[in-house]
Amino acid sequence: MDEPLINASIDLKGRRILAVDDDRINLRIIGGILRHEGYEISEASSGEQALELYASFQPNLVLLDVMMPGIDGFTTCRTLKKTYGDKCAPVIFVTAKSEADDVVMGFDAGGVDYLTKPFRPKEVVARIRTHLSNQQLVEQQKHLVTQLSKANADKDRFLGMCAHDLRNPLSSIRGLAELMAEDAIGELTGEQKEIVQTIHGASQSMLQLVNELLDVATIEAGHLKLDKKPTSLSEIVERSVHLSNLEAAKKNTRIEMVKANGSPLVDIDRNKMRQVADNIISNAVKYSPKGSIITVMFLSDETTAGFAVRDSGPGIPESERHLLFKDFGRLSAKPTGGEKSTGLGLAICRKIVEAHGGTIGVQNLPERGAEFVVSLPLPK
Amino acid sequence: MNFNGSIMLVDDEAHIRKFISLLLRHLGVSKIFEATNGSEALELYKKETPDLVMLDVNMPVMDGIETLRALKALNPDCVVVMLTSLANRQTIDEAVALGAANYIRKDAPPEEIGRALADTIDNCFEFDEPEA
Repeated sequence: MDEPLINASIDLKGRRILAVDDDRINLRIIGGILRHEGYEISEASSGEQALELYASFQPNLVLLDVMMPGIDGFTTCRTLKKTYGDKCAPVIFVTAKSEADDVVMGFDAGGVDYLTKPFRPKEVVARIRTHLSNQQLVEQQKHLVTQLSKANADKDRFLGMCAHDLRNPLSSIRGLAELMAEDAIGELTGEQKEIVQTIHGASQSMLQLVNELLDVATIEAGHLKLDKKPTSLSEIVERSVHLSNLEAAKKNTRIEMVKANGSPLVDIDRNKMRQVADNIISNAVKYSPKGSIITVMFLSDETTAGFAVRDSGPGIPESERHLLFKDFGRLSAKPTGGEKSTGLGLAICRKIVEAHGGTIGVQNLPERGAEFVVSLPLPK
Repeated sequence: MNFNGSIMLVDDEAHIRKFISLLLRHLGVSKIFEATNGSEALELYKKETPDLVMLDVNMPVMDGIETLRALKALNPDCVVVMLTSLANRQTIDEAVALGAANYIRKDAPPEEIGRALADTIDNCFEFDEPEA
């Protein structure tokens, strides 16, 4: 018998098994079976000895006889679990007969499985292999999760640093270009002015991208801090409409606001919610055809207050819906006036709205266009 | 902007000094002094006693908060506006507690920076304005 009894893809050779039994013959039998499989075996003839050996041998699995003089298998198992907690190796009990009581007590004591004497070698090998593999997979998963969350945190920190260091020079470039365009250092020729305006426009959109990346990094790193105060939502939305009117006018688009009946106060971070309203309303302007009408409405019931923005854009294709509120989820629709999109705006909106305990959603309108709805909980 | 006093601009980054000083000139401020760090700022302040100081927060060697403390020790009445990049509530609160008159986000568009500066000047110099 030269081949191992069972073939499997996970290499478990060299895994350490602590076999505990007061019967030397049993130990010799089990030791023989397991060594043949390539495991490293350490033997203990009592519970007390097992507890001592466990510390130095650091087994991956423990085979533990139930009936032993001194402390029995169950007590030994409980002691191990108490000492090593989650890190304790899986324990398989060995009983002379598969008495139901023994089995139940074994699981209660923290065992993962049991084997009955006399041993059937194939069964012993298969069960041990299963538990060692499980344990190894769990360890790998844990390791992977740790690595991934560290990599993710590194990414956010890197993104944050990057964005932060790009921001100041970019805003200087934008500011200097704007001042030059305003003839702050003397009158420019037509072409010079055009160039300076190009620099201004390009740095402006880069700055927006950097700011949005920084927002994402801040939110992802769990550093989104809301400074919530009772605030009139309609005031915030009206301000955003006012700001977007300028861009809308360039495209001959009209923003109609259905005035609110009263204005409930909502517990929100004013600046963050402004960002949400600005984003949704400017998106409506961005994606609606020139000369169309955008409708902004206020919604409220007993427990929520919110607003809805209806555009006349192409609507959201069903196949792209899942991308809409995701980072960099750019859809096939193009801005109708050559505006820029980073694909981060709505992802940030969703994160901000959800941080407020609210919801953001979209539905296509029967005729044409989409309706974005933001809903926030009213203070109780 | 209705201000004929002098302004000292303190920032370690050349592009910020260039940008803010051009903006100040554009707003009609004619006397502008520039310093690149805290200790340079203190020397320059002693020499020129500018009416207003625009002070960066993050600087090597001697940061904005430390410089603010030193300036206030020299002259408790000196008007200091902090220049911040990201609004850091804690730093702003600390600066205000130490007697800073205002704070301005230096990554804001020129118009906004101009407005914040004009507000500060209106608040801090209302009795000093020459009568029309």
